[in-house]
Amino acid sequence: MRMKQVIIGVVFLAAVTVVQVTAHHSFAAEFDADKPVTLSGTVTRLEWANPHIWIYLDVKDEHAGIQHWQCEGGAPNTLTRNGWSRNSLKPSEAITIEGWMAKDGSKSCNMRAVKLPDGRVVFAGSTGGDNPTPKP
Amino acid sequence: MRALSTTRVAALLVVAFVAPLLAQARKEYQPPAGPTPRTAKGKVDFSGVWEKPYVPDMTKDGRNQKGFPDLPFTPWGEHEWKTYDAAEGDYTGACLPFGMTRSMNTPEPMQFMQSDTYLAFLFEQNSWFTVVPIDGRKHGDGIPTWFGDSVGHWEGDTLVVDTVNFNGKTRLDTIGHPHSDQLHLVQKFSRPDLGHLRYEVIVDDPKTFTRPWSNVRTLTLRPDWEMMEYSCEENNKDLWEGRIKVPKYKP
Repeated sequence: MRMKQVIIGVVFLAAVTVVQVTAHHSFAAEFDADKPVTLSGTVTRLEWANPHIWIYLDVKDEHAGIQHWQCEGGAPNTLTRNGWSRNSLKPSEAITIEGWMAKDGSKSCNMRAVKLPDGRVVFAGSTGGDNPTPKP
Repeated sequence: MRALSTTRVAALLVVAFVAPLLAQARKEYQPPAGPTPRTAKGKVDFSGVWEKPYVPDMTKDGRNQKGFPDLPFTPWGEHEWKTYDAAEGDYTGACLPFGMTRSMNTPEPMQFMQSDTYLAFLFEQNSWFTVVPIDGRKHGDGIPTWFGDSVGHWEGDTLVVDTVNFNGKTRLDTIGHPHSDQLHLVQKFSRPDLGHLRYEVIVDDPKTFTRPWSNVRTLTLRPDWEMMEYSCEENNKDLWEGRIKVPKYKP
């Protein structure tokens, strides 16, 4: 089981690493490299516009309440050239986002990767060149 | 035989699976082959849509990018670098002009359009452009600007673009390496064949650095790409919701 996790992690990292990032703003201006976050929830909306796409996500908390999160991804231009489109993700789909939280404590995050239930990784490509190096 | 640790297994997996995946990704695109294109007057023609290496940190090497690891800061430059905090103000996040080096550093492609008199730099990042006279004229005496004042001249088959008169409000790269309004930028362009452009950028700024330093890159022709519109302001929620601040420039 441990080995399987390692393999999944390594392949997941590879899928993330080969995708270009966008450079609209500095990562450090807004996000905290010491606050990684993994969010599993349901998509409520996708905004496909420059300079960044935004995914809106409802996440159940430990008290059975719903937290409304918003997460920033790459530029639509770059993502389009990487084969993604505004139809690659639809409302009500269950996804897992890996990324980093905003410094201001709001329920905002910077996405490193979005993982679909079928295992595909979409919309990878986060902000800036000073974002942390993903660790396996 | 001693059992392999998880770390070693992970390392082996990286070598066995990830490296070939990355190599495969890099092999996916090959530009067309052929001789260096030339204009009717025999000059090297740089026209085309080009894929650039993303250079968020000009001290680092990367694919198609040779960085300069140890920047020769002056005391002023060292202070500017060590006290920089993008959280206190990020001009690119505020959609202000990136300036010349940060525009060349972006991962978005660019297009060159060339005549005998001008070379137009069309950056997809934020749909900005700068038009450079390449007929050998001297610098003008205009007001300082974000992209500076550029003029070009030919040294054999190399086009040398010389830029001064920057307003000093930009950073050299995403990570925030500084420069002053004394920045003198020299960019050298050559095209060894149809599919590749050799690019050298020399940073000469006596207020910030004790001596000039450079990066060398290779750009790749992408005839399969068209330039796309890029509005920085369209959905800049980071700024509107207060997570990014506009820098407080001194008037």
